Amino acid sequence: MKFFVLFFSVIFAGILIAGEKPYAPEKMPGTTIVSAEEVIEMILANPELVVIDSRKKTEYIKGHIEGAMNILNTELVLEDLEFIVPDRTTALLFYCNGVRCLRSSDSITRAARWGYTNLFWFRGGWKEWTEKRLPVVTD
Amino acid sequence: MRIDKLSIKTVTIAIFLMVGIVAIILSLFAGAYFRQAAMDAQVGSLSRVIEVASQEILRDVSKQTFDLGMKLGHNKQLIQTLQETDGEAAHERLTTLLDDPFINGFVGFAKINLVKLRVYSPDLALVAESSAGITGLENYLSEYLVARVTQRSKTERLQAIDALWLSAKGPMYSTLVPVGGLRAVGYLEVIVDPVFNLPDIGNITKTPISVFSMAGAHININEQVDTDSLLPVEFILLTFAGEPAFRIVGYEDVSRLSKTMEHTQMVTTGGFLLLTLITLLFALWLFSRFLFVPLGQMVEGMKQIAQGKLNLTVNKKGLHEFSTLAKSFESMANQVKIRTNDLERLLDLDNSAILCFGHDGEAVYFNKGATALFGYQDDEISDLDLGDLFSEDIVQLMKDAVRLNAAVQGNALHIQLGCIRKDGHAFQSDAVINPLDVMGGFGYTIVLNPVSDETDDGLTNYLVNSIEQNEQRMHAVEQSLNSILEIAKNNPGMISGVGDLERPALPGLKTDDDKRLLREQVVQVMQSALACWEHDLNKTKLDLAEESKIWPVYIDKSTPTTRTLDKYLHTDSCPKNPRNQRVIDTAEFVLRQMNRRTTLGRRQLQQALDDFRGLISGLKTAKK
Repeated sequence: MKFFVLFFSVIFAGILIAGEKPYAPEKMPGTTIVSAEEVIEMILANPELVVIDSRKKTEYIKGHIEGAMNILNTELVLEDLEFIVPDRTTALLFYCNGVRCLRSSDSITRAARWGYTNLFWFRGGWKEWTEKRLPVVTD
Repeated sequence: MRIDKLSIKTVTIAIFLMVGIVAIILSLFAGAYFRQAAMDAQVGSLSRVIEVASQEILRDVSKQTFDLGMKLGHNKQLIQTLQETDGEAAHERLTTLLDDPFINGFVGFAKINLVKLRVYSPDLALVAESSAGITGLENYLSEYLVARVTQRSKTERLQAIDALWLSAKGPMYSTLVPVGGLRAVGYLEVIVDPVFNLPDIGNITKTPISVFSMAGAHININEQVDTDSLLPVEFILLTFAGEPAFRIVGYEDVSRLSKTMEHTQMVTTGGFLLLTLITLLFALWLFSRFLFVPLGQMVEGMKQIAQGKLNLTVNKKGLHEFSTLAKSFESMANQVKIRTNDLERLLDLDNSAILCFGHDGEAVYFNKGATALFGYQDDEISDLDLGDLFSEDIVQLMKDAVRLNAAVQGNALHIQLGCIRKDGHAFQSDAVINPLDVMGGFGYTIVLNPVSDETDDGLTNYLVNSIEQNEQRMHAVEQSLNSILEIAKNNPGMISGVGDLERPALPGLKTDDDKRLLREQVVQVMQSALACWEHDLNKTKLDLAEESKIWPVYIDKSTPTTRTLDKYLHTDSCPKNPRNQRVIDTAEFVLRQMNRRTTLGRRQLQQALDDFRGLISGLKTAKK
């Protein structure tokens, strides 16, 4: 009897945990977290800034930040990134859907592993951007 | 109207009726208020629903205008033309570009009613507007939007702003977006007519909706609503600046709510009234059981005792206070009875014949001298009247005496009367006739001393002296009786004897003869009571002890005995200071159990009890 109670409790807890989307980490070592306004200021101030949208392509097409290029985190490979950003000190800004999206943090982890040092993370992502009704580009 | 007398029953029923009427009125009022409160709550709730629905509709409009604005705001031609400075040509190109959505459509064209597109310079000056759409709008950005934009920092100005505002053509909904994206070169205003979308509120609230302008014009005239059986709920939609823009009326079908409320009201009111009625009836039953009935019986008993039936007992059931009152009254009546017995015994000691008559001339009392003189038995006295005993008309004699004011000393009339014995023998007797209050009425007391045929002076003097002595005795007896009655009437608690009766023994017994006499009388009463109990009620001595709960029952070797009671049945074993109240209580208990059955045993017991009371009273008097 106790076994069954324990078994179903574990199953139930697992379902609950699986149903709850995890949050992105509050901070990442060697990465600067920026807000939407800071993103705008960075874009306007630094023409060299590379903005990478880590979301799916369908989401990107519906709307994205002006000047951002779409590279899904799972498709981010060293060769492509080296091709786009050969200088590993160039500022790189990543974003995805928001605080419950882990794609951009995954991309940043990869970039950091590959030696990119000037990393910025727009943790609020697309959710914060649209809530503030900032300009979006649709394809 | 002045009310002098009301019975407790009348007052109680009147109070209960008032409570009942108040309960009915209150329940009706409460029901009406409940209904109104439910309606108000329903109106408030629906008004809030309309408000939320209207906000939702405006949010949808905003999304559409934002998408259109972003699409146009990133139009390279528009950005480039807006940056050009060649005046008229650029203006025409801008107008053409702004007219394009009206001509070629756009995504979401069917969802909003686009009425105007305008572009502004970064400092919010109107640069150009579409030639399509409505005309007559002011040629500047609304004050609300200007204020909002100018309050913002440079980065914040890139955020799109919405506003519902009042134009010359009525309320309009605008969305202001930057042209050129993050590197804004100006602003684009997308203006739509919200009237196109507001009727969709009804799709959210699931109720018919009418939209009125603040001037009262019915805007969505195409939707005809039969409002006869519907509850109109109004909501005023304000502009972003806080000015009234539209009056939106939703029509709620409250027939079901009314039906439910009627049912609820009926059930709650009916339940409340039923509970009130049951409570009142229960209270009335309690009053009747413990107040009205016992009080009525008590009053009836008191009336009968007041009429002279001193042997009766007053009902003591019911409320504790009434029981106490009844006990006090009964104690008072017992005192009166004892005093009366004292007086009767005193009168019996007199050699004169003393007779008492009521206001109709009926015989009320004869002392032993009188019964001996006239030859009647005690039980025959109540059938006699003045005419049976005297040859003269006493009533007329008294009236004449009073009228003439002669031969009257004080109130008494001295006269010689012709008397008639039971056997018909007539004789003359000196008499003193005294008017008297008898049981609240007018009567006479007559003291007789027969006149001897012998005529010597010694006898005459003796008779004269005897008459004077009788008169003095009569006055003494009257004064005593009046004082006792006065005390009994005004101050029952002050009458001595009740407390004395409850004492374990009479402290006034000083001589051995007194104590022996008392013990004999105690034994006499107890034996009479036991005889009555055993013979007339066919019960045992043990039953008497158990049922009366006056005497303890002991268990000796598994056999119940009544040792204490047994002591009171023999003079030798009777305690020197017997418990008189126990003896009286036992006798009264047996008499009550007899339940008005008249037997020889009962009469003997009653006589023994009266004698015992008289003895106690006499002893106490002697003590005093």
